[in-house]
Amino acid sequence: MHIQTPGPGLYDELFDENNKVRPHCRMLEQWLEKSDENLIAEKRREANVLFQRLGITFNVYGEEQGADRLIPFDLIPRVISASDWHKLQAGLRQRVNALNKFLFDIYHDFDIVKAGVISAEQVFANPQYQPGMQALKLPRNLYCHIAGIDLIRHSDGDFYVLEDNLRCPSGVSYMLENRRMMMRLFPELFAHSPVAPIDHYPNLLGETLRAASLKPDPTVVVLTPGRFNSAYFEHAFLARQMGVELVEGADLFVHQNKVFMKTTVGPQQVDVIYRRIDDDFLDPLAGNPQSMLGVPGLYSAYRTGNVVLTNAMGTGVADDKSIYPYVPDMIRFYLDEEPILKNVPTWQCRKPKDLQYVLDHLDELVVKEAQGAGGYGMLIGPKASQKEIAQFRSLLKARPDDYIAQPTLSLSTCPTFVDEGVAPRHLDLRPFVLSGKKIQMVPGGLTRVALKQGSLVVNSSQGGGTKDTWVLEDDL
Amino acid sequence: MMLSRAAFSLFWMARYLERAESQARLLDMSLTMALIDVPEDRVEQLSVPLLVTGATETFYEYHSEITPQNLLDFLVLDDRHHASLYSMIRGARDNALHVRGNLSADVWESINQAWLDMKDLRKQGITESNASQVFDWIRERSHMFRGAAYGTLLRNDAFHFLRLGTFIERADTTARVLDIRYVMAMKSMDENSTQSFFEWTAVLHSLAAFEAYQNTYGHELEPMNVAELLVLNPDLPRSLRSCLQEIASLLEEIEGETGRRSRRLSSSLYANIRYGDRDYIAERGLHEYLVDFLERIEGITEQIRHDFMGGK
Repeated sequence: MHIQTPGPGLYDELFDENNKVRPHCRMLEQWLEKSDENLIAEKRREANVLFQRLGITFNVYGEEQGADRLIPFDLIPRVISASDWHKLQAGLRQRVNALNKFLFDIYHDFDIVKAGVISAEQVFANPQYQPGMQALKLPRNLYCHIAGIDLIRHSDGDFYVLEDNLRCPSGVSYMLENRRMMMRLFPELFAHSPVAPIDHYPNLLGETLRAASLKPDPTVVVLTPGRFNSAYFEHAFLARQMGVELVEGADLFVHQNKVFMKTTVGPQQVDVIYRRIDDDFLDPLAGNPQSMLGVPGLYSAYRTGNVVLTNAMGTGVADDKSIYPYVPDMIRFYLDEEPILKNVPTWQCRKPKDLQYVLDHLDELVVKEAQGAGGYGMLIGPKASQKEIAQFRSLLKARPDDYIAQPTLSLSTCPTFVDEGVAPRHLDLRPFVLSGKKIQMVPGGLTRVALKQGSLVVNSSQGGGTKDTWVLEDDL
Repeated sequence: MMLSRAAFSLFWMARYLERAESQARLLDMSLTMALIDVPEDRVEQLSVPLLVTGATETFYEYHSEITPQNLLDFLVLDDRHHASLYSMIRGARDNALHVRGNLSADVWESINQAWLDMKDLRKQGITESNASQVFDWIRERSHMFRGAAYGTLLRNDAFHFLRLGTFIERADTTARVLDIRYVMAMKSMDENSTQSFFEWTAVLHSLAAFEAYQNTYGHELEPMNVAELLVLNPDLPRSLRSCLQEIASLLEEIEGETGRRSRRLSSSLYANIRYGDRDYIAERGLHEYLVDFLERIEGITEQIRHDFMGGK
């Protein structure tokens, strides 16, 4: 099968700058060469049927109920060498460790603010900051038990952190199901390559959630907003894989500051809630009073220490795009280490000098809302029309604090099966980092891929796809 | 121990699937009988599934007369009311989605696939000529669900509530179908013997009991035998006695002490049937017997909801 080679100036995961296959990808290339297009097309249809039957679908708000959409799944895996992974893993541990220390600090001693590293305004005026969490003692001082860190590889070959997701990062079920699908469709591929296994993720997650409580054998539940949520499949999947109950707000109630679930044998106390509901909706008495998803009194029970929430309330302040530029400083401040993973250079429009630069270079930059997610509300300068640029110019002038800007990075590409054949497409990577008694992760992550030629938008809500992510145990 | 809401969803998931299977059998039989029957009695045959589901009134909101095609449109693919196979499969799948955490992959997939097929079917539409295929497909799906449940689920409370749903629904259906079809069959006895034969086979076929009847009583079709088989026979899977035996023993197996009232009601109804006999039914009158039975089943269902499902 013919593989289109990447354009100049891009980093490709399969081909090096001389269009030669990278050594650790040779077996993948041999496989692609042997495979004919009809077989791949047939396997792709098979994968779609299986994903439908398994119900691995993605609900998009506003579409009619029952219109469960599949996230496009690409059959060509993305391969990460063992040495790249070792570095990534060390960098992720370091980063998540620092972020947890930062969260502890800004709810206790405020050392980083006192030292002048981050301004008080940026921390305490942040809408995600929860003053009620101040001085609260959490087991092991952990705030972010589950983190999803978005990384990209730039044309210089290095990985850069694009975003830290510390609230309810999703996508780990796709990481696991993509692997299962690949093993089912192409068993022969795995027989000959040292791909590191990832199937134990639910075990590690269970271990992490139990370690979030100091009780010897805590009762853990997964709290979902319900089956119309876009990630409902994942919530159910994880609960089943861990053998814990999947609950909705209406299944829980608070009595004397303890949380109980309603069961067939009467109320049962709950110790750890892996919540997939945002802070504001968790407790209508403390947050959004309109919330039908939450549990009245939960916040109070949490503050009393009778239940643990993973992730903790108020973690969102650390994954905000306006805090992101400070993560390397956090690593230096709390760990006294140099950051292993790079940040993308970021202009904070709240700073007059940065704002001026951004306004002068709008056609080269990506502008994002500090609170935005899902690829909405952003400007991609080089692709934008004059009208869009003018619109963002006035937005930036009106509310500079709400925006940051970054250079348009050339995300690395990887051969992807698309209508035109096998062609390079841009991708990113989201590994999942678990913090319990120690910081753990499985070798891999969710690879998201933009399916349109030249597109840099990989979000599932914007039509991006996913592929299996292979971390090699040894480089060949 | 399990979530009350999960118990509720498992119960209804299984009820909807059982109901879909019964409805497929019922429709199949009614359409066949309408072909056999004299033209003036066709509407009566076709109205049986509407009577059993209690949907006659709703039917006339959408259609002016009972024809095979109208009946199929209404009871198979219409999503505007609860009596269609479409709504039942959707209901089963919705509930399954709710309790995915309690289902094995095999059970979930069997239900999800049924729903995907149903959506395809809805695009193709149903006519008299493909109706039988559709009914076969529903029956197969129901068998597959049961097989997956038996073959892969832990024998815990999730399994018990799921089976409770199946047997409550089945007991209810057997009583309703027997009640309606028995009257029709008795009426035909006075008219002609060929018609009468078909009427009695229709009773049996609708409840998947035709072969069982022949095994038990031979070829002679005798009304009290039919009643005895479908009410009292301990070996027939769809008899009222079998269903109640299952319900009573499932309730015994459910963990905890919250279900004492459900247990008492179901054991008492079971004892009534177990120690009942055909003379009692004949004396009382089958119709009266069945009406009383249906009320008591409804009472048990209410009590189960109250005891285990947070009153839902």
